[in-house]
Amino acid sequence: MLSIENLHARVGDREILKGLTLHIPAGEVHAIMGPNGSGKSTLAQVLAGREDYEVTAGSVVYQGQDLLALAPEERARAGLFLAFQYPIEIPGVNNAYLLKAALNAQRQSRGEPPVDAFEFMKLIKSKMEVVGVPKEFLSRSVNQGFSGGEKKRNEILQMLLLEPRLAVLDETDSGLDVDALKVVAHGVNSLRSPQRSMLLVTHYERLLELIVPDRVHVLAGGRIVKSGPKELARELDEHGYDWVSAGGQA
Amino acid sequence: MSATIPLTAGVAVPGPSSTRAARLHALADLGAAGWPTRRREQWRYTDLEPLAAASFDLVPEALDRDTVTAAQRLLGDASLGAASRQLVLLDGERVAGLGATDLADVEVTSPEAHWDEFVAAFAKPVGAKEYPLAALNTAFSRHGLWIRVPAGADIRAPIHLVLVGSARANIAAQPRVVVELEPGARATVVQHFVDCASESTGWSNAVTHLKQGAGSRLVFQRLQRHAHGVAHTSLLSAELAESAELVAGYFDLGGRLVRNDIAITLRGAGARTDLFGLFLAGQNQHVDDHTLIRHAAGATVSSESFRGIIGERGRGVFNGKVVVEPGCQRVDARQSNDNLLLGEHSEIDTKPELEIYADDIKCSHGSTVGELDSEQLFYLRARGLSDLEARRMLTAAFATTIVELIADEELRNATLELVTARLAALTER
Repeated sequence: MLSIENLHARVGDREILKGLTLHIPAGEVHAIMGPNGSGKSTLAQVLAGREDYEVTAGSVVYQGQDLLALAPEERARAGLFLAFQYPIEIPGVNNAYLLKAALNAQRQSRGEPPVDAFEFMKLIKSKMEVVGVPKEFLSRSVNQGFSGGEKKRNEILQMLLLEPRLAVLDETDSGLDVDALKVVAHGVNSLRSPQRSMLLVTHYERLLELIVPDRVHVLAGGRIVKSGPKELARELDEHGYDWVSAGGQA
Repeated sequence: MSATIPLTAGVAVPGPSSTRAARLHALADLGAAGWPTRRREQWRYTDLEPLAAASFDLVPEALDRDTVTAAQRLLGDASLGAASRQLVLLDGERVAGLGATDLADVEVTSPEAHWDEFVAAFAKPVGAKEYPLAALNTAFSRHGLWIRVPAGADIRAPIHLVLVGSARANIAAQPRVVVELEPGARATVVQHFVDCASESTGWSNAVTHLKQGAGSRLVFQRLQRHAHGVAHTSLLSAELAESAELVAGYFDLGGRLVRNDIAITLRGAGARTDLFGLFLAGQNQHVDDHTLIRHAAGATVSSESFRGIIGERGRGVFNGKVVVEPGCQRVDARQSNDNLLLGEHSEIDTKPELEIYADDIKCSHGSTVGELDSEQLFYLRARGLSDLEARRMLTAAFATTIVELIADEELRNATLELVTARLAALTER
C-alpha cells in the first residue's frame, strides 16, 4: 500500500526527516510514536502534500504510484486521507457543503456521478451516528467555534464518509477525554478492512489500547529507530523514549 | 469665478422653464467647486477627469421605440422584482409603459413635478464642494422618482427601483430618487442599476435621498450590476429623525469606474443605521466607496461593515468617515473593512477617519487586507477539492458573510445568486 524509502524533508533550512523508511502493507494498521519534535507531524503533512515542506531525497510509492508527484487533491482523490492534528476553521463554508463537495470530487475522479442531496443526507446521517454528533453539526461553518473534541470528531466523520484506502491520523487522540477517545476509536475501527491501511501518529499509548496496531514504530531524530509488534507501545509507555535511544534494553 | 468644465460647456440645461433657474444655479455651483481632481483628498485614488473630458451627452435625444422595447425585455428578469412593484427610470427618465405607474400603498411622484420643494429640501442642502457630481445631477436630471410612504404604513412587499441604462452611445444619465418615510412608516426598497446591453459604455451619475421621519424603519438595498464598460458615480444622502432606523446594503458587481458616496446623518436621538457593503472588482475595474456617518444627536448607533474582493488588476478604495458632533453623548459607532486580494496586481486603499467631539461614546474601527489563507486552501485540497475549487469556495465564503446580513430571505438568495455568478467570472483563470 505505502512504501517510504530514505525520505528526507525540510522546512526552510531545517531538515526534519532524515532518511525515514517505512512499509505499510494493505490491511495493516501501523502506529508511529515518538517524542515532540521527532518529525511525526512532518511525515503526516508530507504524505498529504503540504507544500511548505520540501522533500530533498527519497521516495514514496502509494499503490504503485509516485505519491510525491501528485498534488494534494490528487492524493486525496486517490484515497489518501489525513486527519489533521489541528483541523482548520473555515468561517462561511458550511460543513455539509464541504463534506458533499469532497465526496463528489472523489466520485468524479472515479468517473462516478455526483450524489444528490437526498442520497448525501442519508449517507451522512448514518456516519454521524457512528461519531455521535448532532445534526446541527452540518449547518455550522467548518470547524468554526468547534471544541477540540468536536473538531476531531469532524475529521473522523469526513474519513468515514470518504472511505479512504490509506488513512493517516495525526495525533487524533490529543485533547480528547476518555469518552470522546472511545467514540473516535470506534469510528476508526469500523473502517478497518483488508483493503485499507492506516497510519496512526500518536504521542500516547492509550489510543493504541483502543485501536490495536499491527506494528509500532518509534520515530526519533527524523528516522525510524525501532519497530516492533503492538507490545512495543506498552514498553515505550513504561520506559519512555530515552529507553529507545539508549538501545531498548529493559 | 467659475472654472470651465468641458463636459458642460455650451450645453443648455433641460426640463421645464420653471426648473431652469435652479439648474443654472447648480451648474454655477459645480463650476465654482470645480471638477473633482486627484489633487483633492476625497478624490485622491479615483480619477474622474476623463469623464469631464469625454464627449458624453448630458441632454440626450428623445427615447425611440427600440430603446424602450429593449428596456421592457430586460425588466422581465425575475431578479428585478415583480412588475407590479417596479418603478423604472430609463437613462434617468420616466417612460410610459415601463414598470408600474403607481403603487397602491405609497405616493409616487417626481422631483421635477415638485421642483421648488425638492430643490429646497434635498438638492440645496447637498454641498457642491463635497459632492460636485450631485450638482451636475441637479442641473441635468429629468423627471426622477419621489416616493413617499405615509405615516404609520407598513409596506411588506419590497419596492423595486430599477434604474436602467439604454444601449445608446455616450449617454450620461442623471437618475434622481427621493425616498421619504413619514413618522412610523416601514418599507423595503431595492435599487437596481442595470444596462440593456452588455457592451454599454455610458455613465450613470445617480443621486438618491432618503428622508426618514421619527420611528420609521427603512431597509434599502442597492445592487449595482452595470455592464463592464459603464462608469457609475452615486451619492446616497440620508437623514434620520428621532429613533428612525436605516438598514442599507450596497452591492457593487459591475461597472468599469465606480465611485459611491454614502452620507448618512443621524439627526434625531436614538436613530440607528446598519450599513454594509460588498464590492467585487475584477480586471480593470475600479470601485471606490466613500462613506460618511454623522452622529448629530445623542444615543445614536451606527454599524458599518464593508468588504472588497479585488481580482487580478482590479482596484478598490474604501474610506469610512465617522463624525460625532459636539455634545452628542452615548453614541455607539462601529466600523470594519476587510479586503481580499486575489491577484498579484490587485490593489486596495483603505482608510478609516474618525472625528469625535464628544467623550461618552463607544467607537471602534478596523481594516484588514489579505490573500486567501494557505492553511485553509491546503485543508480543502487535502479533501480532494482542486486548487481552483478551493479558492472559489473560500472567496465565496468571504463574500457570503456580507450577503448574510440581508434579513429578507428572498432578497438574500437573489443577491447570493448574483454574487456567486460574478465571483465565478472573477476567479476564472
